Amino acid sequence: MKRLKLLLIVFMFPVICVSQEEIEETASDSSAVLKLQNYVRMMDRDNTPPADHSTFPQLQAEFKNAHEVTQACISCHTGRVDEIMKTNHWLWERTEKLEGKGELPLGKKNILNNFCIGISGSEKTCTRCHIGYGWEDKSFDFSNKLNVDCLICHDNSGTYEKKRGGAGYPDESVDLNYVAQSVGKPSKINCGVCHFWGGGGNNVKHGDLEKALLDCNREVDVHMASEGENMSCVECHITDKHNIAGKLYALSSENKNRATCTHCHTNAPHADKLLNEHFIRVACQTCHISTYAKANATKLYWDWSTAGRLDEDGNPIHENDADGNHNYLSIKGTFVYDTDVIPEYYWFNGIANHHLITDTIDTIPVQMNSLSGSYLDKGKYQKTNKPSKIWPVKVHRGKQIFDPVQNKLIQPKLYAEMKGDSAYWKDFDWNKASQAGMNYLGLPYSGKYDFVKTEMYWPLNHMVSPKEKALSCKDCHSRNEGRLAQLNDFYLPGRDKNRFFDFIGIGLIVLAAFGAILHGSLRVFFRKNHHLK
Amino acid sequence: MKKVYIYKIFERFWHWAQALLILILMISGFEIHSSFNLLGYSTAVTIHDFAAWVFLVLICFAIFWHFTTGEWKQYIPTTKYLKAQFDYYVGGIFRGAPHPTKKLVYNKFNPLQRLIYLGLKILVIPIQVISGFLYLYFHYPIQGLELQSLEYVAIIHTFGAFLLLAFMIAHVYLTTTGYKPLSAIIAMITGWEEMSEEEIKERLVSDIETSILKSRAQLKSSEEYNELFDAAMSTAGKKAGITSLADSRFKDAIENSGAGYFFISKNGIYNDVNETWYKLYKYDFKDEIIGKHYRLSRTEEDFAELEAHVKTVLQTGQIINHGEVKRICKDGSVGYHTLTISPVYEESEIVGIEGFIIDTTSQLLAERELLKKQIRIDKELKKRKSKED
Repeated sequence: MKRLKLLLIVFMFPVICVSQEEIEETASDSSAVLKLQNYVRMMDRDNTPPADHSTFPQLQAEFKNAHEVTQACISCHTGRVDEIMKTNHWLWERTEKLEGKGELPLGKKNILNNFCIGISGSEKTCTRCHIGYGWEDKSFDFSNKLNVDCLICHDNSGTYEKKRGGAGYPDESVDLNYVAQSVGKPSKINCGVCHFWGGGGNNVKHGDLEKALLDCNREVDVHMASEGENMSCVECHITDKHNIAGKLYALSSENKNRATCTHCHTNAPHADKLLNEHFIRVACQTCHISTYAKANATKLYWDWSTAGRLDEDGNPIHENDADGNHNYLSIKGTFVYDTDVIPEYYWFNGIANHHLITDTIDTIPVQMNSLSGSYLDKGKYQKTNKPSKIWPVKVHRGKQIFDPVQNKLIQPKLYAEMKGDSAYWKDFDWNKASQAGMNYLGLPYSGKYDFVKTEMYWPLNHMVSPKEKALSCKDCHSRNEGRLAQLNDFYLPGRDKNRFFDFIGIGLIVLAAFGAILHGSLRVFFRKNHHLK
Repeated sequence: MKKVYIYKIFERFWHWAQALLILILMISGFEIHSSFNLLGYSTAVTIHDFAAWVFLVLICFAIFWHFTTGEWKQYIPTTKYLKAQFDYYVGGIFRGAPHPTKKLVYNKFNPLQRLIYLGLKILVIPIQVISGFLYLYFHYPIQGLELQSLEYVAIIHTFGAFLLLAFMIAHVYLTTTGYKPLSAIIAMITGWEEMSEEEIKERLVSDIETSILKSRAQLKSSEEYNELFDAAMSTAGKKAGITSLADSRFKDAIENSGAGYFFISKNGIYNDVNETWYKLYKYDFKDEIIGKHYRLSRTEEDFAELEAHVKTVLQTGQIINHGEVKRICKDGSVGYHTLTISPVYEESEIVGIEGFIIDTTSQLLAERELLKKQIRIDKELKKRKSKED
């Protein structure tokens, strides 16, 4: 009998131990070899450029202006210009379907943000980031092929630069022939020059896209790290006929033409089944982007209402915080910057809505864009047919100008070259700037203005951490200080409990323990009395 | 102090494996509930999921065992002695009163235990298993069979865990209320439980009753029946550490066992009989027979045979297993039983005989009925055959 019992114990224990070991072993095995598809490692590629443009005769004669460069490009690359002219990089708008608003062209022309508000009336400076030449105002000809700027994306010399306030034309110092002879595939800086400095400074807007990515370590971004694969933007943003996959979640409403993690990493990248299951409701980004603005600060708050304070001589001023980031500019107001920011988390099904310039304010803070999704959204009836997932989001909060009579946001005219042109950045007069901006758009302005709180959501996608720095269970599955503390529309194990049933349950345990102690001591007490008698 | 074998090996293995698994599930589970940090969250989840599967396998084996051994009957709830058991825990136990119910083979649990264990088996454990597997495999509201939210499942599962933990505390405490504080736990480890003399006697009675029932079921002939009965009694005795039939504890055990006991002194006078015995002989009181000679228990012709046997036992000390005999009851009616005759020693001198009788009347009548039918059928067959011829 005893032998049998021993046998059983001996039999059971290895079963438990071995299976534990197996789990650990497979986990460490898989981490050694990353599961990848649709991707060829840098070391396995032939990186020699297909052509040497410096030898081409078309690029030898001195270019008098930038349009001539475009002419030279399209003389060989026939049809390519038609491709690019269909894309949103050229049009700065695309047709999107908005919930409750139907299908409409959506872009910088008709939606506002809570950074520099909008481009209307200030195109000359804003279109420095447009892939074209000469977008000064509404009269810009979007059908003229020679207006396309090929160089901004294809310059590999690093010498091409667009002029400040130049409506997209290159700076006079640029040697167009040299640039034209050194074109190639876009590198990080071609994309970064606009996408890193959007909003008027490095990392102002995105928080996860900034100049540090040009040369960073794995802690900042595993994909773009110099010591690793050193991937450029277009490795993930795969381009077909000049249509670049992936679009800004904050400004694109329909869930289409995305660049995704799963394209290379598959739908089940982990060895652990439970982790893969998390992917059903948790975006990769949530665990793998532990913080954003890892190297340089990003703007988290922008209060326009304090703008306009000038020094004794009537000149605009700027003040910096302790870290050297602006915290006040006369032309823009008060800012709060931060680095290594912990994201906020929201349900998101890839579909967003937007506050159009013509929309009436119905919520305060005004939701400049809103991410659609909830725990109960299983995606069945959505175009995507995918359930909402938890996403890390940068939320940019602000205070910006609106018309309290119309109850609508105002597009002020911000930029002009000279004083007296109603531009706020020169004249510091909100009333004139508002009147000019709204007139430009053909929209009414009551003559009264005030400032309203706004919020804008920026789902995060970049600055993926090394796996050791990815979130662990406890970051969310913990009682009080978890990252999902605010996302309360569902039951999360480890975070949530039912206070009533926990109270009853703990009460029962205390009662049982207390009862046992009391009963036991009474027994001992009475037994002693018995013995004494 | 004597020990009695109560818990079989599988039962003990199952009990301790279950205890260990519940403990593991409890520790990892409450860590998942963020009650404390001990193993690390992901380790806790891995262990919890694995232990859940092991538990499920164990449950399958346990269900099989309960039904194949008939042990499930132990859990049939009863209100009999329920109040007595309750009163004992709130009062009697402090005065040193005896347990109101005894541990018997077919009544291992007191009525409170029956109720609580049954509740665990058919309510708490199944709810934990079902909610646990829903928790594990339907934690996302996606497609097919789906939970709108984990909330209700999680609340039920957590509350079940609280109940189990409260039960465990009470259960462990109550193990100390046995004969000695540790006797119940030692019994669960070794299978052998320390008991008072009184409890052992009761237990023997039930053992023997069981054996008799088993013997009857296996009965083929009355001789075989006798042997089986003896074998059953000696196993029962051995379990209780009794080797001699003359052991007083054994005699007590026979009381109410379904077997009639008699003690006849050297001169042939009934010295002692038990209730079963005098009821089989259709007497109303024990005193009606004590002091009388055993002659009145037999017909004239059968008496000689019995006398010869008695003489043999008295002279040689031999134990006689007698086959079926006919007895004369008080009212002159006839019954049948089998019989053992053993010598009774007093300071190495035989002072009388004792033995057991086991009634076979109904058995015999049934057999006769069968025989009659057989004969009729045979006759009928013969008739038909002759007609055919």
